[in-house]
Amino acid sequence: MKHWLTWVLLLAAAPVFAQVRVTATVDRNRIGFGESLMLTITAHDTQTAPSVAIPKVDGLRFAGPSVSTSMSIVNGTVNQSVGLAYQVTPSRPGEFVIPSLEVTVGKQVYRTEPIPIVVEKGIPQTDGSQLVTLRVQTPSQQLYLGQTAPLNVQIFARSDAPLKGFAGFSAEADGLGYQYRPNLKSGTYIEGGVRYNVFVIEGAITPERTGKLHFGPCVVKAQLTVERRGRPADLFERFFGREEIREVPFTMDAVPLEVLPLPEEGRPSDFSGAVGQWDLEVTAKPTQVAVGDPITLTIKISGTGNLHRVSAPKLAGLDEFKTYDPTTKTTPNELNTAGERIIQQVLVPKSAGVKQLPVVRLSYFDPIAKQYKTASHPPIPIVVQPGAGGQATIVSGGLRVRPEEKLGHDIVYLKGAPGPVARVFPPSAFWLLNVAPALALLGALAWKRRADKLRADIAYARRNRASRNARKQLATATDCEQIQHALQTYLGDRLNIPSSGITASVADERGLPRAVREIFETCDAARFAGVAVDTAALKQKVQQVIDELENTDG
Amino acid sequence: MNWKTLMVNLLIALPVVADDFKTANALYDAGRFAEAAALYEKITPSSAGVLFNLGNACFRQNKLGLAILHYERARRIAPRDPDILANLKFAQQRLGVDEVNQPSQPFRRFWTNVTASRTQVEWSWMEITAWWIVWLAVAGGIWLPKWRTGFLLAAAMAACVWAVATAALISRITSPPEAIVLVSKAEARSAPVPLATALFPLTEGTRVAIREDRGEWWFIERADGKQGWMARSSLERI
Repeated sequence: MKHWLTWVLLLAAAPVFAQVRVTATVDRNRIGFGESLMLTITAHDTQTAPSVAIPKVDGLRFAGPSVSTSMSIVNGTVNQSVGLAYQVTPSRPGEFVIPSLEVTVGKQVYRTEPIPIVVEKGIPQTDGSQLVTLRVQTPSQQLYLGQTAPLNVQIFARSDAPLKGFAGFSAEADGLGYQYRPNLKSGTYIEGGVRYNVFVIEGAITPERTGKLHFGPCVVKAQLTVERRGRPADLFERFFGREEIREVPFTMDAVPLEVLPLPEEGRPSDFSGAVGQWDLEVTAKPTQVAVGDPITLTIKISGTGNLHRVSAPKLAGLDEFKTYDPTTKTTPNELNTAGERIIQQVLVPKSAGVKQLPVVRLSYFDPIAKQYKTASHPPIPIVVQPGAGGQATIVSGGLRVRPEEKLGHDIVYLKGAPGPVARVFPPSAFWLLNVAPALALLGALAWKRRADKLRADIAYARRNRASRNARKQLATATDCEQIQHALQTYLGDRLNIPSSGITASVADERGLPRAVREIFETCDAARFAGVAVDTAALKQKVQQVIDELENTDG
Repeated sequence: MNWKTLMVNLLIALPVVADDFKTANALYDAGRFAEAAALYEKITPSSAGVLFNLGNACFRQNKLGLAILHYERARRIAPRDPDILANLKFAQQRLGVDEVNQPSQPFRRFWTNVTASRTQVEWSWMEITAWWIVWLAVAGGIWLPKWRTGFLLAAAMAACVWAVATAALISRITSPPEAIVLVSKAEARSAPVPLATALFPLTEGTRVAIREDRGEWWFIERADGKQGWMARSSLERI
């Protein structure tokens, strides 16, 4: 209890006895363009928050402040401070000075020291250069023109390096025909007691000219995890940590390479430019044929080197054969440092005297042994029977017999007639034929529905035919009685009541037009009083009544 | 051109076509394949037989890519002709592209073969016939309820045929145009410029789909799905 009181008294007395001091500091003086620094103005030995008027500085933008307080007691001495933190972001590279700031604490005014800062153009190279190094791996620095040699770029990253991945790779290789695989190979390596993660960019070079050439410089952009500077910006950052991934370029100096021309000495006469180490495999099928039958000679060239410079071996002694141009199938690996080429040559023996196929020779330059070599295959013996297989035969009478054709060995013979031509279905007909059945069915359904209704609903049926029947009767009517009967028939059908019982009074009851009563009265006068009536005019009047009623709903 | 004019023109043209066709066949038999090919190319309209024989003439000149092109064109007109199919397969085997020209996925391969087994006109007639049967069966089910089950079964079967025919038609209509590689060595590049990175090689006779046409360059897709840009001069549209 006693100690607690002592502490309270000390804290209360502290502002009275301490001398207030104001400082301005930055977390770093040198930053890269695109980064920000933190400016902190601290009022020491006071609990009163300072107020600062931040002047305008060309090229610098100030955001903030955020206020913080701190207190510490060391050997009974109480240290208190209140800080204002501003985030300073440059709008261009260059050298700047944060000028002396006027800081007010309570009623007292203090001034801070000016702070110089330098903003560099790019992100400054960190000391990460020790973390990641690049090396080139190639079998030899001396190459031959046309040779394809593997060239790997090895990336050594210390195992403790905060490496997240790689964002890019570029290399200068003028005249070297450099190509590389986009996928990295990885492994580990220990050197001088330090463990490295090694990533390999597999590639190959095919020099396109002689002389001293250079591979590089090459640049690898590594993604490193770095701690974000300054105070945490928000709760999210506090919660999830303050790391960010930064792309840092690592470069490797150019590596000299010497490209030599292929030597003249020892060059075989049949050398056609193949460079590498090549094996030859030759097969023929079939080896027992009749004169005129084709033999397929398959030459498989496989090995390491520049497969594109390997051409089909020239065959000697082809006079005894009819030949066709060879077909070639080339299967290089992704970097064209190895692979195989299969050449198929069709040979047709001209006579039964042919006993063997030609010798196959392939001359190439071996860049490892640095000398020309020749791979060869001995002649393959064949048996050629006399006969006319596969050849047109002229028989007596001059008739030409169609050659026998074998599927799988030769193409099918010509067609004797031109055959069908390309046809197009007219789009309008297509759509019409598609729409027609649907319309037909819908129409039929509507018709069926109407027929069903006519059968089931007598009133509807009578009403439906009322006008038609009345008009028929009216057309043949010659006197008032017939005209009146036509009108009665119409009204009976329309109202679904017996037509004989319809009179002028019924018409009134049913709310029919006045003209109906007039017609009935006119007819009655003619029939019973002998009054002369113009039947044509009466028929027209009846017609008008029917029309009027037809046009009336219900 | 109306139907009458077309018929008259065809009647006039038929003897000429027949004469040229016979002459070209005779040139072929005499081993004068280049002259035969030139004459076949002059014959219009190009029928399946003319294109087939033209393919043979190209084959004999060892122009296997061109031969495949003409066999493919003939197959579009007569898709089930065994001679055309045999020669096309043989030429593709000679160039080693018979597998390359087939889609790698089993279902896609099956469907491609199904749609290619009939011409567009044949698929159209099949679709229309099945469609009419569906509607007639529905109408029969309505008017003749005694046979309703049979009619509905017929309608269901016809509807299945109609669905296949319609899908095949849509597939044929919407599928991109195709081309054949005519040069022995070609490469698909990453961009429509000569110095762009070569992505993968293409051999003569390879069939590709033309996804985009930019004048001198076509963006193509091989049957295995690989895509790239190719100079138009290396290809010919089927």
